Amino acid sequence: MWKFIVRRLIITFPQLIVLSIIIFLMAQAMPGDALTGLVDPNIDRAAIEEQREKLGLNDPWHIKYVDWISGIFQGDLGQSFRYKMEVTELVEQRMINTFWLSVATLIFTYIIAVPLGIISGRYNDTLLDSSITGYTYIGFATPLFIFALVMLWIFGYQLQWFPTGGSVAPGTEPGTIDYVMSKINHLLLPALSIALIQTVSTVQYLRSEIVDTKQRDFVITARAKGASESRVYNRHILRNSLLPIAAFFGYEITMLITGTIFVEQIFSFPGMGQLFIESVLQRDFSVVNAVVLLFGAAAILGALISDIILSVVDPRIRIK
Amino acid sequence: MEKGKFSKWLLFIMLVSLLVLAACSSGSDEETEGTDEPDATEEEGTEEAEESEEESEEESSEDGLYSIEDFGRDKTNEGEAIDGGTLQYGLVTDTPFEGTLNYNFYSGTPDAEIIKFFDESLLAVDNNFNYTQEGAATFDVSEDGKTFTLTIKDNVNWHDGEPVKAEDWLFSYEVIGHPDYDGVRYDATFQNIVGMEEYHAGEADTISGIEVVDEKTLTITYKEANPSLLASGIWTYAMPKHVFEGIEVADMAASDEVRKNPIGMGPFKVESIVPGESVTFVANEDYYQGTPKLDGLTLKVIPPTTVAQALETGEVDMVDSFPTDQFPDVEESLTNVEWLGQTDLAYTYIGFKLGKWDADAGEVVMDPDAKMADVNLRRAMWYAVDNDSVGEQFYNGLRWAGTTLIIPAFPDYHDPTIEAPSYDLDEANRILDEAGYEDTDGDGIRENPEGEELVINFASMSGGDTAEPIANYYMQAWEQVGLKVELVDGRLLEFNSFYDRIEADDPGIDIYQGAWGTGSDVDQQGLYGRHAMFNYPRYASEENDRLLQEGASEKSLDTDYRKEVYKEWQQLMVDDIPVFPTLYRAALVPVNNRVTDYSIQWQWDDWHEVGLTQEEPLLP
Repeated sequence: MWKFIVRRLIITFPQLIVLSIIIFLMAQAMPGDALTGLVDPNIDRAAIEEQREKLGLNDPWHIKYVDWISGIFQGDLGQSFRYKMEVTELVEQRMINTFWLSVATLIFTYIIAVPLGIISGRYNDTLLDSSITGYTYIGFATPLFIFALVMLWIFGYQLQWFPTGGSVAPGTEPGTIDYVMSKINHLLLPALSIALIQTVSTVQYLRSEIVDTKQRDFVITARAKGASESRVYNRHILRNSLLPIAAFFGYEITMLITGTIFVEQIFSFPGMGQLFIESVLQRDFSVVNAVVLLFGAAAILGALISDIILSVVDPRIRIK
Repeated sequence: MEKGKFSKWLLFIMLVSLLVLAACSSGSDEETEGTDEPDATEEEGTEEAEESEEESEEESSEDGLYSIEDFGRDKTNEGEAIDGGTLQYGLVTDTPFEGTLNYNFYSGTPDAEIIKFFDESLLAVDNNFNYTQEGAATFDVSEDGKTFTLTIKDNVNWHDGEPVKAEDWLFSYEVIGHPDYDGVRYDATFQNIVGMEEYHAGEADTISGIEVVDEKTLTITYKEANPSLLASGIWTYAMPKHVFEGIEVADMAASDEVRKNPIGMGPFKVESIVPGESVTFVANEDYYQGTPKLDGLTLKVIPPTTVAQALETGEVDMVDSFPTDQFPDVEESLTNVEWLGQTDLAYTYIGFKLGKWDADAGEVVMDPDAKMADVNLRRAMWYAVDNDSVGEQFYNGLRWAGTTLIIPAFPDYHDPTIEAPSYDLDEANRILDEAGYEDTDGDGIRENPEGEELVINFASMSGGDTAEPIANYYMQAWEQVGLKVELVDGRLLEFNSFYDRIEADDPGIDIYQGAWGTGSDVDQQGLYGRHAMFNYPRYASEENDRLLQEGASEKSLDTDYRKEVYKEWQQLMVDDIPVFPTLYRAALVPVNNRVTDYSIQWQWDDWHEVGLTQEEPLLP
């Protein structure tokens, strides 16, 4: 078991290094830089060139790469040109928002997915099952950015049950109960919008897994031994069916920090997705690099966690 | 078994119906944006153009066309203002604001929209952006126009109670000119100050051209007199020295004094900031123009997709600018707001590449053999496009055909009497025929006077729903006079690569569509001067040099003379056509009816007088 984890970790390191090089080169290949956007005749050309020189934008790529990577090892991701602040601080600010939004989303996702999946799998081919699968197909077909807008329009503006944007009400004092409640209140609608759409794949996984397990020999044996129907489902089938969901969980953790661009934009929720897209558009390289590296690292770690979870629950997977 | 079969069918049917539904919705969406509009413009271009001119005047409200003339600039008061109240202000942007809340450091427009509530320029401006004596400071110019004596009024204080002193004003110059300064404000106007370049190079500890006379008085001496100095050319923002004194210049922009607890001298104080999303303000009772009527103001970011909803439900009372393309859809339902509008400080234009940028000499070199070198070709292309109907079709009349390169937002300088080419296909054809562009091989496309094939490469930027149909419209319009125009790379270019290639004089680009924000200064040397990097058409001529220099000379301190010079220059641009303006634009600001005494005029800075007629926002 430990051997497996250690071996998996060792593979992860070269992956991260290759990832960092690729990210860096790709970012360099983008046309323009943070100063290109300043096409403003009131800003002096010479001042811009001077800034480029100062920021080291004119250095060859390998020097820039070494600068950057040695900074990372010291925990310094550089300075954002646009925000004029440390990238670490900026990312931290945004990541907290995205993290809580994702946690709320994950909770909603599983609250919806587990019962629906179980009902749908247990009573498959009934009307109930059909309506649940119907919902999952609609969910698959609905683009999130439209769905979120509709949700905002109905629950935010028409019914006014939820706040319509931001991560917290303006003017609340951090640290107070009001602040926390306002934060949670602001999370509900965006989290619910994402969860309702995102949950459908989990529902389907769970359903097909249950339908599949139902016909296994050990279930027939359990029934033959006279186990009650609820015992068969809760003890025998459910346990085995949750396996792929557990594996999936590792990837879902990746999502905790990547955020969702569309939803963040619609709810003007300052999170990682927005930070990513705007820094790409503005060529704020230090931010782009840091964010992409973080996403990549999260994806690699997510896969690692998935593997570990799987190897814990299913010893067959521990490849020698 | 039977049950199983049935449910599979059900699923299939559901799948089919879903597909059909999906097809319907996406189809109709795409059609309206992608295919319908180019068709419509084609018709517009050929048949309806003449009619629409007459129609637009009479039926403007019925056929969905608007005109900038229909909008006022001042809010009409609907009732008496109550005492206090909190105004909700929406900052329309689809990204969080950066939070560099200081005039000396900010770089994005959203930040400036926030700073204006708690800090302000020491000198006020009129509607032509010339300084007046009405602001927090007064000024006096020496005979030769080089030395400015600036006096800060006595009752002007920072939010922490400290008076705004001359040394605070000097301090902002010292920060911007400092070698470690990492913003973008250090420009030619700063370099024009005596001793500034020595200070910037680190050779001097002080700026010799700026002198603090007494606690409230400052003199600034410039190397050369320039009329632009009087038109928003002076840096008029002070920085509280007692707050920033202990901070290294390089660390200032990231400091808490800029990002978390900024102070200024404006009508409101910053109470709290939620990074990237909202700011709350309270009234500054010590404001030099008087205590604001409002108790406070809450500013929050509203994405452009939901701004209309936010206005309708009263979530915000007003916004900094409204996306004009949504206006026709919401005009009728938003009965709780008054729409203010004026000419935006920007224009869209088509530019012709006429030469190269010589980086070593730092000047423009014209190429007499450039594809677009013939002014007749350029003029014919101007005649061939119907910009008024582009404005009507795509912007419901909220953009309209431009005529000269100094926009009407500068009422003193814009010359409406100049006759710029307007849509006339016959004239375009006549000019091309006379200039020798004839169709010699009978394929319906004109060849150049040497009889060679003429293909003009057109660079246009992507972005927004209308970018593509508008580019297509222009190409179709030119095709109608027999000119073959193709998109560079066969597609629209992304913003960064577009400007990279324009700036590098990519030989694959002959003409391009760009836009300029005009700023507040009429001086055009930064855009069209011989030594301007931003002179993207790479146009230069002696007459142009002369006029632009005259416009910025000592002689032009006489405003009447300056007006004459720029009128001549506008005429020159219409004759030489290095670029031609395609569209002027309107900027719209919706304001809830409960708001009083608000205005969007450039000279207006009376936030302290703005009030509300009731506690709750008015609903439709």
